[in-house]
Amino acid sequence: MAGRRVLITGVGSYLGGALARRLERDPEFEYVAGLDTRRPQVSLESTELIDADIRNAVIARLIPPAEVDTVVHNQIVRRPGPGISPQAMHDINVIGSLQLLAACEKADSVRSIVIRGSAGVYGAEPHAPQFFREEMTRLFPMRTRFQRDVAEIENYFETYSRRHPGAVCTMLRYQPGIGSSQDTQITRYLSLPVVPTYLGFDPRLQFVHEHDALEALVAAVRNPVRGAVNVAAPGTIGLTRMVRLAGRPTLPIVPPLFDGVTGVGKRLGLLDLSDDFTRLLRYGRATDTTRLVEEVGCRPRFTTVEAVRDYLRAQGGRRLLPVLRHAVAP
Amino acid sequence: MSAARVDERERIRFDAADAAPAIGFLRRLREGLDAGLDLPEAAARGAAGLPGGARDAVRRAARRRAGGYDEDDWGLDEEFVELVFPFFEFLYDRWWRVETSGVVHVPSHGRALLAANHAGILPWDGTMLSFAIQREHPLPRYPRFLVLNWAFDLPVISVAMRKVGGVVASPYNAFQLLEEDELVAVFPEGVKGAGKPFRERYRLQRFGRGGFVEIALRTRAPIVPVAIVGSEEIYPKLGDAPAVGRLLGAPYFPLTPTFPWLGPLGAVPLPSKWRIEFCEPIPIADYGPNAADDRSLVFELSERVRETIQQKLYENLVKRGSAFL
Repeated sequence: MAGRRVLITGVGSYLGGALARRLERDPEFEYVAGLDTRRPQVSLESTELIDADIRNAVIARLIPPAEVDTVVHNQIVRRPGPGISPQAMHDINVIGSLQLLAACEKADSVRSIVIRGSAGVYGAEPHAPQFFREEMTRLFPMRTRFQRDVAEIENYFETYSRRHPGAVCTMLRYQPGIGSSQDTQITRYLSLPVVPTYLGFDPRLQFVHEHDALEALVAAVRNPVRGAVNVAAPGTIGLTRMVRLAGRPTLPIVPPLFDGVTGVGKRLGLLDLSDDFTRLLRYGRATDTTRLVEEVGCRPRFTTVEAVRDYLRAQGGRRLLPVLRHAVAP
Repeated sequence: MSAARVDERERIRFDAADAAPAIGFLRRLREGLDAGLDLPEAAARGAAGLPGGARDAVRRAARRRAGGYDEDDWGLDEEFVELVFPFFEFLYDRWWRVETSGVVHVPSHGRALLAANHAGILPWDGTMLSFAIQREHPLPRYPRFLVLNWAFDLPVISVAMRKVGGVVASPYNAFQLLEEDELVAVFPEGVKGAGKPFRERYRLQRFGRGGFVEIALRTRAPIVPVAIVGSEEIYPKLGDAPAVGRLLGAPYFPLTPTFPWLGPLGAVPLPSKWRIEFCEPIPIADYGPNAADDRSLVFELSERVRETIQQKLYENLVKRGSAFL
């Protein structure tokens, strides 16, 4: 049997690059292509880089000739950041997914699509079950734009897999990532000199360590299963406990004033919390990972508490100096 | 020098000797802080010279301050339960003078579902039920109790609830906890029980759709009916202001003799006299795996649990006599 051929979107992100490097060294895969307008963060040897914007219809001409059997959709933006406005984020997520699917429609070779989606689709709710299972997406109304976008993307891929019974769509629902090589909302939050929290709330949070985030992608590429799969480290950690482990001073804010205070911080350029993340800080969210372990066959190495500890260890234990200092140093 | 003077001097010297550890603690704390240690670490080191009890307390506080405590996957913090133990003990022994019977009916291991009557918007009955098992049971265990969802919107209370074993009243939670062989307490009256007026006290409301029986059948967990007498007098609900309730997002807004007239003091529960009786478990294992789909069986069992609790409530009301004395 010929080796497998894989296309990875968003190869310029940390996980995209790490996945490409991992697959190009694996003899099972004969061809790896990466789609992104950004340069990969790691040096890649044989991965063919396709420099195109996922929002552009041109990818429908670029992808079919590659004759890939697997598409890894790794370009779902989780937070607006420098250079990415909320509008651009929405476009990349929703329009990008649509363009990618249009390209897949034209490529008959595609057998499986693995999407790095988000557990944000469950929302963060005070009345939520302690552990969301994959079928519990419609328990609460959609509250944020990102949540609606993710739900919409999930819908597109579901429709696609209904129309193409020969192709398997695996929707990986990732909890927020944590790790020293990644720049995520949670690592930014923990690097703040003073950490804003909701007074009187101590939500249970769940993360996924960057090592396990990559392993889950690899496992899903090797062994695609139909439908949604939660990707998270087992167990949870209380926000208060995490912040204390990080040795960060907190700024508890009464709930009605939280948005106002963080809004001022945002205008001063000190912090940038997305709506989803803010809800997470108040109500938290945890998912059930049985399906990931039993069906995809990926057993996370880190529990949530271990993932947090590992990250803090890599940061040199308690970082007492605010990160701002780094910017000042030459 | 008169004898009184000597006495006085003795007393002062004694006081100074008493304060020495505290002064030593502060000195070492200061040294630690000057040496660049964090406050918790400096406090833990400074505590070396304190007497045993105080030393342990400071060290524990310092450790917890630095994040050195455990919460299980459901958010229960055993150390926190131990810390608030004296407070619950006071409520149990002095405030409500709880008498508990039949605690042996609670299995010491494996899954079981406790079903009890419910009143009052703050889940004191749940915490006392939990405390009764820890105090009276030969092999104590922490029951997880399903709390009215609304309590999880509240600051502070939501955190305290979670740390002592409260979880959101969702069938998914009950199901998963029982599958994990936990002891789960439910209040099948739900919000109807929490909001019943004072004149209907100890008259059990309808048990919803019997969802708790369905879960017990599916997970094959025995149901232990529990009658709690006393909890329905702690917040005598004389009236209701539904408009205010809606404004606050609460299911109702109770008017009691003390609330909201006395402000936060109105949240202090009245010192009624309590009795908790655990009844004989209703075995579930005899029913087949499809029994949960049998509507009539579910209603029949639900009714049986309800009647058992109702009857035990009346018995215990008679045994208790006066409500407050």
